[in-house]
Amino acid sequence: MDFKLSAEQQDVQKLAIQIFADQTDNEHLRQFDNNSRYDTKLWSDLGETGILGISIDPVQGGMGFGFETLCLVIEEAGRSMAPAPLIPVLVSAALPLQKFGTEQQQSILGRVATGDCLISTAFAEPLNDDPLTPSTTAERVAGGWQLSGLKHCVPYGAQAEKILVSAQSSEGLVALWLSPDNEGIELTDQQSTSGEAQSHMTLTNVLVNDADIMAIGSDAETAMTYALQRTQAALCAFSVGMTDKMVRLTAGYTAEREQFDVKIATFQAVAHRAADAYIDVECLRLATSEAVSLLDQEKPADDSVKIAKIWCGDVTHRTSQASQHLHGGIGVDRDYPLFRYSLWSKQVELTLGGSAQLLSELGESIAETFLNR
Amino acid sequence: MDITLTPEQQALQLEIREYMKSIMSSAMIEEMKDPEYYEGGGPEYRKGLRKMGQDGWIALSWPKEYGGREATAIEQYIFTEEVMRSGFPYPFLTTEAIGPILAEYGSDEIRETVVKGILQGEVVIAIGYSEPGAGTDLAALKTKAEKNDNGWLINGQKIWTSLANFSDYIWLAARTDSDAVKKHKGLSMFLVPKDNPGFSHTPIWTLGVRTNATYFEDLQLDDKYQIGEVNKGWRLITGQLNRERLSLVNHGPIQILYEDVATWAAETQGKDGQPIISKPWVQTNLAKVKTGLEVLRVMNWKQAWAIEENRLGMEQASVAKVYGTEYFVEVYRLLMEVLGQDATIGGDSPGALLQGRLEHRYRVGSILTFGGGCNEVQRDIISAAGLWMPRAR
Ligand SMILES: Cc1cc2nc3c(=O)[nH]c(=O)nc-3n(C[C@H](O)[C@H](O)[C@H](O)COP(=O)(O)OP(=O)(O)OC[C@H]3O[C@@H](n4cnc5c(N)ncnc54)[C@H](O)[C@@H]3O)c2cc1C
Repeated sequence: MDFKLSAEQQDVQKLAIQIFADQTDNEHLRQFDNNSRYDTKLWSDLGETGILGISIDPVQGGMGFGFETLCLVIEEAGRSMAPAPLIPVLVSAALPLQKFGTEQQQSILGRVATGDCLISTAFAEPLNDDPLTPSTTAERVAGGWQLSGLKHCVPYGAQAEKILVSAQSSEGLVALWLSPDNEGIELTDQQSTSGEAQSHMTLTNVLVNDADIMAIGSDAETAMTYALQRTQAALCAFSVGMTDKMVRLTAGYTAEREQFDVKIATFQAVAHRAADAYIDVECLRLATSEAVSLLDQEKPADDSVKIAKIWCGDVTHRTSQASQHLHGGIGVDRDYPLFRYSLWSKQVELTLGGSAQLLSELGESIAETFLNR
Repeated sequence: MDITLTPEQQALQLEIREYMKSIMSSAMIEEMKDPEYYEGGGPEYRKGLRKMGQDGWIALSWPKEYGGREATAIEQYIFTEEVMRSGFPYPFLTTEAIGPILAEYGSDEIRETVVKGILQGEVVIAIGYSEPGAGTDLAALKTKAEKNDNGWLINGQKIWTSLANFSDYIWLAARTDSDAVKKHKGLSMFLVPKDNPGFSHTPIWTLGVRTNATYFEDLQLDDKYQIGEVNKGWRLITGQLNRERLSLVNHGPIQILYEDVATWAAETQGKDGQPIISKPWVQTNLAKVKTGLEVLRVMNWKQAWAIEENRLGMEQASVAKVYGTEYFVEVYRLLMEVLGQDATIGGDSPGALLQGRLEHRYRVGSILTFGGGCNEVQRDIISAAGLWMPRAR
């Protein structure tokens, strides 16, 4: 048992803190509020310093560090609200591509590492965020496959060069890489709570070359699960930074703000609500460390990821509400940074499984375990 | 990061788990059904504790000079977890909190008799801090110790002195300077042998366990029983409370309750002929328990690791105390709901489930949120030391 970060992980963490600190003050972030843009300058800086390539294979020009190290960067992005699509590009898309993609498919990773191209993954369909049971269908045709259906909430769907998609076929699940400019694809912007760019994507008889197929049948299920679990865990890591910062903003603000001639932090009810948020964040941190560490070591993590995401859903919600409440009006004012954290909290909470849904899934898994003992 | 036990740590865990089966004999289990002996004190308890001493387990975390094994904080946590999991009412405060203080501050004679006795499983010590007028505000205690030619003369009353009905000594906090400007600056610590004629006790029956009111009337005590510096007792008290906080919220006992309830629910059919565990709400309750339990385990492991690495933040023990004790209360409810009304049947009655263990846990569950430093005070510590918020008042 060892909770220490390695020297190399500490270096990456320091670097991330520094880069984000320089480019995330409130004035700067304002440019990206509510317009579905990310910070292209920050993104290319992240590419130049090697951060985008952290968990990309050295063969493709990356550094080849593990998922746990990547999550340290993601935590800092959550802490600073850096407008950078780290999770969709580096986790949801690049990780499964690197693990399951063909050599030809992987050739794009070099440009991902330098920040010259975005890739993404379409997990969700309307009323269904389980990529293992899509309604989208794939049918074998001469030279490839034909795809029909609907995906939505696709992060950076309009900017991505390639999008990982799963579809149901007579041969089981198919996982494949779509180019959004293929004929038959129609993209429409969706406005999301967080302001992150998302697309609604209609697929009408889209032709996909054999070369773009990544996996079929149980291999495709493995690949989509791999992508899904890592994305869920990365959302948790993002939330650790995000909720930690919200609690610290709240502590700082209440220690200064005066009402009834005293600092409002000296009201025990105020201090205790902040303390509860502090405990919550610590719980989220621990659940996340465990899930991320197990995934990093490729050990069984099905229950741990669900548990972390359940904590994530609960803690983002509670911390955000407590922080807004203890700030009073300033907490919802767009001139003060808290509102961004609150919007992202709600986004993350409901992305890829809210707490009630995951509790039910975890309960089924527990029942299965004890019935088969 | 690696958040798993090493093979050596796993082996230790299994070794203790096996060993404790011999301590929790059927005679011991039978003895504990008597409410008088639920927290120990009976002949089987004494026998088991002595055996643990002889087999070297009590000294596990102690230095080699005491015949100890110098276990790391993580190994000690594993020991605590397995002992608590077994249900044996092991006197952790005697062996892990007061014992080390006596070893550090006691005279050679105290070390030879009391400390040795603790390590051999012969000596159990009760804690005499709380008084009718001094609970959370412990430094308000009034029991008085006055220096005289024969040592110390002690007068006062304590309340909630658990184990005092069978313990060998009382670890007593008393006021030695009534004029101290700050009330916690005039306190000193004493070790009172139970056979001293100035000592007496009466039982207090709570909704869960038996505890005691204790009385110290013109109690004359030899100087050697005054421990640590005079008027500097507060540091010994708070140091001990910090240790207590972590062992309070061990995940071992909850882990086994969760497993036992889930196993019961898988093996028992409801009136629809399906296993109880196939009901969605049962699954959700178990999922809630497990979601909290994972965090409790990792939190405890991380704190044990941090102690080992000498980097435990001051607010961390408070985080564990609040989270753990409030989670316990919630867990008892979630698991009792799974058992339904049958959960309220006492252990000795026909129809009792899991030996009535949940029925009993519920009865003692609430003590922890106000005892060991009430959770409000822990939250004060968290907001001040963890978040640098100014303190109230
Ligand atoms: C079964 C049992 C066993 C015990 N065993 C022992 C023992 O072996 N030795 C021993 O010395 N003591 C023992 N105790 C005593 C225990 O430590 C005290 O009950 C505890 O310290 C609380 O004190 P109190 O009961 O006087 O409650 P109080 O101090 O009166 O507190 C009551 C409530 O007031 C509120 N409160 C108090 N202070 C604050 C504050 N600063 N801010 C906000 N709210 C506050 C909290 O909600 C608290 O729960 C035992 C108690 C029980 C019930």
